[in-house]
Amino acid sequence: MALIAQLLLPFFGGFAALLAARTGRDRERWVAIAAMAATLAALAAGVALGDDGRWLAFYRADWAPSFGIQVLLAMDGLTAAMLAISSGLGIISVFISWHVTHRSALFHAAICWTVAAANGVFLSFDLLIFAFFWELMIVPAFLLIALWGHGDREAAAIKFLVFNAVAGLGLLAAVFWMGATSDPVTFDAFALAETEYSETAQILLLLGFALAFMVKLPVPPFHAWLPDAHTQAPTAGSILLAGLLLKTGAYGLFRFPPMLFPDALMALAGWGMALGAFGVVYGGILACGQTDAKRLVAYTSVAHMSIVLMGVCGGVHFALIGAGVEMIAHAFSSSALFLLIGALQHRTGTRDLRELGGLQKTAPAFATSFALFFAAALAMPGTANFLGEALVITGMFQVNWVFAAIALVSLVVSVVYATRLIGGIAFGAPKPAVENAPDLHRYELWPIAILGLCALVFGLFPQLLIGWLWTAVEAALQPLIVVQP
Amino acid sequence: MLAYLLLLVPTPPLAGFVLLALDPYRLDRRAVRAAALVAGCAPLVVMAPMALAHLTKFWGDQIAPIFTLHVGNYEVALAVGLDTLSAVTALTVTFVSACVLIYALDYMSGARNADLRRFFALMNLFQAGMLSMVLAADSITFFLGWELMGLCSFFLISYNMTSPRAFAAGQKAFVITRIADAALLAGLLLLFLEAGSVRLAELIPAGAALDTARGPLIAALLLVGAMGKSAQFPFHTWLPTAMAGPTPVSALLHSATMVAAGAVLLARFAPVLAANDSVAAATAVAGVVTALFGAASAVAQTDVKRLLAYSSISQIGYMLVAVGVGVPAVAMAHFVVHALFKSLLFMASGVLAHAGAGGTSIAALRGTARRAPISFAAFAAGAASLAGLPLVTAGWWSKEAILASAFEAGWLGLGVWAVGLTAAALTAVYAFRPVFTALRAPETETPRGRESWLAVGPLVVLAVLALAGGLGVKPLTELLGGHPPHPALWVELAGAAAALLGIAGSAAVTFLPALAGRVARARRLRAGLQMDARYYALLVRPYRRFVRRLSGGRGEWVTRVVAPGRGTEGVERELEGAVRHARQPEGATSDPVGQATVVLGLWVWRALLLPFSPDRMDMAWMQGARGIGRAAERARRLQTGRVRDYALALALGLAALLLIGWGMTWR
Repeated sequence: MALIAQLLLPFFGGFAALLAARTGRDRERWVAIAAMAATLAALAAGVALGDDGRWLAFYRADWAPSFGIQVLLAMDGLTAAMLAISSGLGIISVFISWHVTHRSALFHAAICWTVAAANGVFLSFDLLIFAFFWELMIVPAFLLIALWGHGDREAAAIKFLVFNAVAGLGLLAAVFWMGATSDPVTFDAFALAETEYSETAQILLLLGFALAFMVKLPVPPFHAWLPDAHTQAPTAGSILLAGLLLKTGAYGLFRFPPMLFPDALMALAGWGMALGAFGVVYGGILACGQTDAKRLVAYTSVAHMSIVLMGVCGGVHFALIGAGVEMIAHAFSSSALFLLIGALQHRTGTRDLRELGGLQKTAPAFATSFALFFAAALAMPGTANFLGEALVITGMFQVNWVFAAIALVSLVVSVVYATRLIGGIAFGAPKPAVENAPDLHRYELWPIAILGLCALVFGLFPQLLIGWLWTAVEAALQPLIVVQP
Repeated sequence: MLAYLLLLVPTPPLAGFVLLALDPYRLDRRAVRAAALVAGCAPLVVMAPMALAHLTKFWGDQIAPIFTLHVGNYEVALAVGLDTLSAVTALTVTFVSACVLIYALDYMSGARNADLRRFFALMNLFQAGMLSMVLAADSITFFLGWELMGLCSFFLISYNMTSPRAFAAGQKAFVITRIADAALLAGLLLLFLEAGSVRLAELIPAGAALDTARGPLIAALLLVGAMGKSAQFPFHTWLPTAMAGPTPVSALLHSATMVAAGAVLLARFAPVLAANDSVAAATAVAGVVTALFGAASAVAQTDVKRLLAYSSISQIGYMLVAVGVGVPAVAMAHFVVHALFKSLLFMASGVLAHAGAGGTSIAALRGTARRAPISFAAFAAGAASLAGLPLVTAGWWSKEAILASAFEAGWLGLGVWAVGLTAAALTAVYAFRPVFTALRAPETETPRGRESWLAVGPLVVLAVLALAGGLGVKPLTELLGGHPPHPALWVELAGAAAALLGIAGSAAVTFLPALAGRVARARRLRAGLQMDARYYALLVRPYRRFVRRLSGGRGEWVTRVVAPGRGTEGVERELEGAVRHARQPEGATSDPVGQATVVLGLWVWRALLLPFSPDRMDMAWMQGARGIGRAAERARRLQTGRVRDYALALALGLAALLLIGWGMTWR
């Protein structure tokens, strides 16, 4: 039941927010918060009452038996972590969007629906339902960018839509193929994992899945939508994009290719790692060249998510657990950075690093928060980001030292762009735009504090995270180990 | 259980950092200073008894596990531990940092409250990082402390946040040390994979026992890591510019402790180096080259802080020499002595600079011997120790031990010894230049200034130790498990002669205008052989150009590629809209790979679109519609409007109906 609640509570919470907006001021905000808090509570209950085995919770019911479609939901530690992030970031998004008044009801409904759809992606193991939620997720995110964004928001929203919808076709085609060739017809991922496909079929299917995941991740050359979407999206949109939508790509990559197509994954792993290595360097270098703070962070996302791709393709314990840790750490650090930059833009009206500066003098708490996530962005030991990168690099050393060396280069590049970012924002004499900027508001401070605590606690006590993800890592590795010589 | 007391060493500064950084109680200046002082001195109070108990063999080696990580079959056990090396280094670090913090209370008294808080918060965080590094019993905690020091170094160098120069200096330091840190991380991770453990006590023997190609590789990576942090040639360029930080920062981080951490690292991993002769030799050569280069550059400096920075570079070079020739214990003895006299020199120079004509140039020191006599005396004691004034200074004993060890280390060692001796003479030259300048009569007579006891107290303590500490060098070396060398008398005399000659040369350079002029003209040397400019030309500028080329403009090239002005009108219009997506939006920069994907997508789109433009399906429908229209046109002609035509049609129709009716009834 806890699993169904993860989907229904935020989904109907969205409609409730739409309706509640008519009854009074700010009602829609509280309804949205209540819905997602209830989701979080249901998750906590589900985890607390969870089983010890492979899954903490499992739910299976027929939906359209003649087409073999089931409602098949399963939650392990990885899923639970992603679900917690999804609802948590949803609540934070509402809190930091208190200034949004234009069509506020729909705005909050869109936040709830994004969370609901992402939860569906994280939970579903019936591939058709998975693909359905995968496509569904695009819609509210598209609305968030197109209706409440900045600047050239329609173009950015369309770019986001086209990239993700086209990539989704790959997933859909692969899923239909798998369903159609199964006998009896089923979309149950566990059943399909047992199916033997020919080598070519496996590779084609994997490419279909991987296209969807790599566009969402995003890995160069499929990343073109991300910087635009991030810069034009409202703050809440950026947070959900970075913390949630990108993570669905990482999650999918982590979960399905090793389970369904282990042979093909191992056959293409070298290419995947090469693409990841290229993305790490390319994203890092382009981040160094940005003057728009949000675009800079967007390109760091490209670099960091490429590390996840490297980790998943590594196919060894260290690399895989590193990928898992990295995607969770990135959810905290990048959404916090987007939150801070969004708050700064709200105050100063600009994100241009050349027009910002001197925040340390005028808003010290702001600058201190920046410094914390600055440390996380450059993978300072003690933050979860370092843990993820170090684990992936360790794994790379086991697989191929060239990729390890490239990942190490990214450690250096990350210092360059991170110092550029904090140098442009916190250092220097206060620029006119910053002079009258008020310090962080209470509603901004506590989300920052929570995200910072998460980044630090998981960095300093990694067993919390590693133990939590371990069953998922083991399950992902099992088929791969059989394949590996 | 007592071992867990070790955790109490880095904890107070960490707590101090949290308290000062978050500032939940809105502390006023007095409270900030008090909190920083308590947090900064508590490690000394905790560490001193433990270190002494250990060094007097009263308390054995200790390990305090923190927690264990399980990653598959690997166990990553984090722990802090106490052995002789960590006892000596931790005691030195806690002692020197306590001295510097007390001094900073006075030195930083002019800062705004917020800046004061930031300063002390970062100093405390640095202490926590350094202490967790020296006390670490595993490579992860070690690296954690190592990186934390780098982070604090960045923020402390650019402490003056409104100064672009300070920021650039901090950034430079951070990037260069991070390059080396990446190498160190690679070395530590490889070592971990080979040994299957992160515990240093298991890691280091396993690394030393490696007989594959990975052995030298790991040793070399560790060496690179140490050279970066310790600003060894060719990584040295960040340290002189790092002097943009306040004097207490230079005294603690950029001379005594953090910069010397590379030597601690190598001393810690000395067995790994010793197992790989080539890397050990490279360490010694790198050390002695740096020692000579640093000393020569220091001679040409006109700024006291930069002089001392080059001096640190050079002195840490000596420590590397000691590790390279296989006597890490001697290197650590020099580490201790260097920490004492170098922090002393920096702090005393800070007081003298305030007493002098202002600024940190050497020329501005004229006459300060009379204005701040206690600080001057302390400075002179430090300079004497740095120069290695024979017998009476600690610096002489530790440096002589290094040179003598090198002398006994075969042919390569002999060369190293000769170069090291030259560097020692140069050391004396530059060490005494500020001293002699301070002795010269001032250009304008001013009364003696007040020397705050907060600032002078630590100076006096350190000065006594910098001189009398020589008595402790031999016992310390033995404690650390080394054997002090017993060189021939003439080797010792050569060392003494080098120092005395150097001091004489220093007097000549200071007081003889002709020589002073030559030094003043040695611009290339002063700029550290212009390595900075070379790096800028070879690495930084090309990188920036590359970044700019990659992300320059808004990617207008896409417009030319996507819409070259071909195709039918409809497609053209379709693509004009699409070009918007290919070109980067307002405020964005070019992104070749991403845009190429978009262009590719647009080409595919166009290829799919062209066959349907004009839409042939639509044309077929329209053709049909037009056919119907034409048919209607013809049918319209029936409507003539004449009665006889209609009557005829009526009659014909009736006839036809009758005919049909007849036909249907016909059987």
